[in-house]
Amino acid sequence: MKLVLSDRNLDVFQEHHPTFDFIDLSKLQISNCVGCFGCWTKTPGKCVIRDDAVNVYPRIAASDRIMYVSKLQYGGYDTVMKTMLERSIPVQQAFIRLLHGETHHIQRNVVPKEAVIIGYGNTSSEEKQIFRHLVERNAKNMCFERYQVKFVAENEVEQAVRNEVAVWET
Amino acid sequence: MGNVMIINASPRAPKSNSKEYAKLFAQYCQLQTEYCEVKKSNHLELCHMMAGFSDVLFVFPLYADSIPVTLLNFLKTLEANLPQTKPTISVMINCGFIEPQQNDTAVAMLQLFCRKNGFPFGSAFKIGSGEAILTTPFRIFLKAKMKKFSTSIQNRKYGTFQVTMPISKRMFIAASSSYWENYGKKHGISKEEMSTMQIE
Repeated sequence: MKLVLSDRNLDVFQEHHPTFDFIDLSKLQISNCVGCFGCWTKTPGKCVIRDDAVNVYPRIAASDRIMYVSKLQYGGYDTVMKTMLERSIPVQQAFIRLLHGETHHIQRNVVPKEAVIIGYGNTSSEEKQIFRHLVERNAKNMCFERYQVKFVAENEVEQAVRNEVAVWET
Repeated sequence: MGNVMIINASPRAPKSNSKEYAKLFAQYCQLQTEYCEVKKSNHLELCHMMAGFSDVLFVFPLYADSIPVTLLNFLKTLEANLPQTKPTISVMINCGFIEPQQNDTAVAMLQLFCRKNGFPFGSAFKIGSGEAILTTPFRIFLKAKMKKFSTSIQNRKYGTFQVTMPISKRMFIAASSSYWENYGKKHGISKEEMSTMQIE
């Protein structure tokens, strides 16, 4: 499954792309994670907050190619994307394993994936550097086997996504 | 003499480990401290309070490898409502993994925020095994490092500090497995149930 998770609408998906699953997070109702550990210790694999996020994290887990499209803020994902990523912890267990010499949570049925992260906004070189480090960290916790990070201005997002979609469709 | 505004930016602030870490900091710090929690409704109030302090200490857990949304949203409000006099900002971050350096990205994000908005950056305290260390005999290491961290803010000799359980990673994994197994038992959930591979 190819999944595009975006914090804004993307016109490219008004067109017919049958092999893509597109989620515009800005149209969903997703509350903040409250750090209750319910998805680990009360209802394992399921978030206790039953809003739109519960339809999103299973699709993140099931995808083998994933694209995140997010505005950047202070070297990280801005609120919309970050809220969803925090609500995705049901895909992990509470239990910890060693991965590349570091401790990380054990994943449930999460398909190893190839990821493209498109960060947009007026981004300084320092911010880009921090974001690259963040995605490197995320890769270990989100089962990215390979990933690319791309930075674009806000008015270049559509074209950047179109370019990636064309590559994925070949 | 300065004073420190401690801001707990944990999503579960009233019941958080961050609250316990904040309490310990206040015990060791000889400056006057005031403890606050970030709520959806009090961002502006906290922004206005900041001008009355020489130092601000953000205390929060690592969430998805970076700062929690609770803090991110507060920083965005703060950026739009900067105090006239800017306190020095320090951070104390705890993550559940044994490696305190997993908090590095979150520290870098706060440093970037400070540079961008003209706040001096003070000290950083990175806590590994932060979910459990307070309830183990290893808390003495945490307390010793907390003293150094609070002294650094008190004396304005800022620096970076870190602490974790002084055990091997394999021992940490075994100990954390017992910790989580017991956590599940309290809710009547077995280790096998917690280990399900099913999502939803």
